[in-house]
Amino acid sequence: MRELLRKRILFFGGKRGVGKTTCASAMALAASRAGRRVLLVSTDPAHSTSDIFDIPFDRDEREVAPGLMGIEIDAALEARRYIDRAKSEIARMFSQAVAREAERQIELAASMPGVEEVALFDRMGDLIINRFDAYDLLIFDTAPTGHTLRLLRMPELVSSWIGALSRRRRALLSLNQDIDKVRQVPEAIDPEEDPILRTLEQRREKLEQVRARLMQHNFTGFVLVVIPERLPIDETVRAVEILQDSNVNVCGVFVNRVLPADLEGEFYRSRRNQEQVYVDEIKRRFSAYPLAWIPQLETDVYGLASLERVSTLLMR
Amino acid sequence: MRWDELKQNLGDFVHGYFVSAYERKLREQFVDLNDLFMLQCFMELVGLPNPAAIYLLDVYPFFLEEFHTWHRRMGMDRSPIGSMPCC
Repeated sequence: MRELLRKRILFFGGKRGVGKTTCASAMALAASRAGRRVLLVSTDPAHSTSDIFDIPFDRDEREVAPGLMGIEIDAALEARRYIDRAKSEIARMFSQAVAREAERQIELAASMPGVEEVALFDRMGDLIINRFDAYDLLIFDTAPTGHTLRLLRMPELVSSWIGALSRRRRALLSLNQDIDKVRQVPEAIDPEEDPILRTLEQRREKLEQVRARLMQHNFTGFVLVVIPERLPIDETVRAVEILQDSNVNVCGVFVNRVLPADLEGEFYRSRRNQEQVYVDEIKRRFSAYPLAWIPQLETDVYGLASLERVSTLLMR
Repeated sequence: MRWDELKQNLGDFVHGYFVSAYERKLREQFVDLNDLFMLQCFMELVGLPNPAAIYLLDVYPFFLEEFHTWHRRMGMDRSPIGSMPCC
């Protein structure tokens, strides 16, 4: 998995409970040990990353292990901040009575499904654009598969939506210009000066910028984490298909919790025989991708010492 | 009234008639387009999902301003629409 060290942005995804956070954290630690400046970004509302490192991850970047930086994005909080910003902007421009009334519209927009996702993506985009140069590697520990796939497709959806709006706005403004011409109004307004159009286009530009970085196969990659069991394999196969359809580069599959070979006893032997079926299936189905095998450990991965072990195993 | 003057007035009248008809058509089109644009920006007001709802909060203040000028121009002291609560 050494080739992953050359990437600049890595996403870790997989079915709930397969060990995404463990793998992402171990990878971050390994990269940081290899001398990379790494930012580990947790987007998990369950705060598992904080639990693994045994140190709270914050909204601001902080050192979570010697030489390794970490940050946590709380989608609900980001949505809240975005909405508060919109409110204060209105409060600045209008009277108090207006601001109070406008709050209804804002709260309505805030309660729409998908708002937190957009806010989460917005913050991730911020990091991808603004912190890209400060680090060698950004690692995103994402939420379970379905959620993440939607998240990666979101910029396309939102950006084309905003694109349609700004085209319509432009048509509207040029019509307005025509009317002014007919009426021989001396100072017609330049469409480029329109604050609404400008805001929409700025927003779209930013989304497109993030999207472009996500689609850069040479430095952005998606790592799928799977365990040798039926349902996680099926879900991962689907995820690979969707990621490829969306033109996202899948750059590795981490197979977590593989039973060690040197176990004694009838019980373990029969478990291993059963597992072998899935191991073979994984080898067959994901033959196109680099595979990393992480054995089941005798203790939970918790705290820096055990994480260190996993990261050594990863870089074998 | 002198002949020249009459001709001038008649010319202005005909010109004005056609130009204002044209202007009216443009205005109608403008109003329709504007309604559609506003609807697309604030679809959540009519209960439709809007993928960019939160980003459109960025432009909401400008809409308020535009709307305020509009209803004042239309001779309405107060905003006729609840969700555009400028006054």
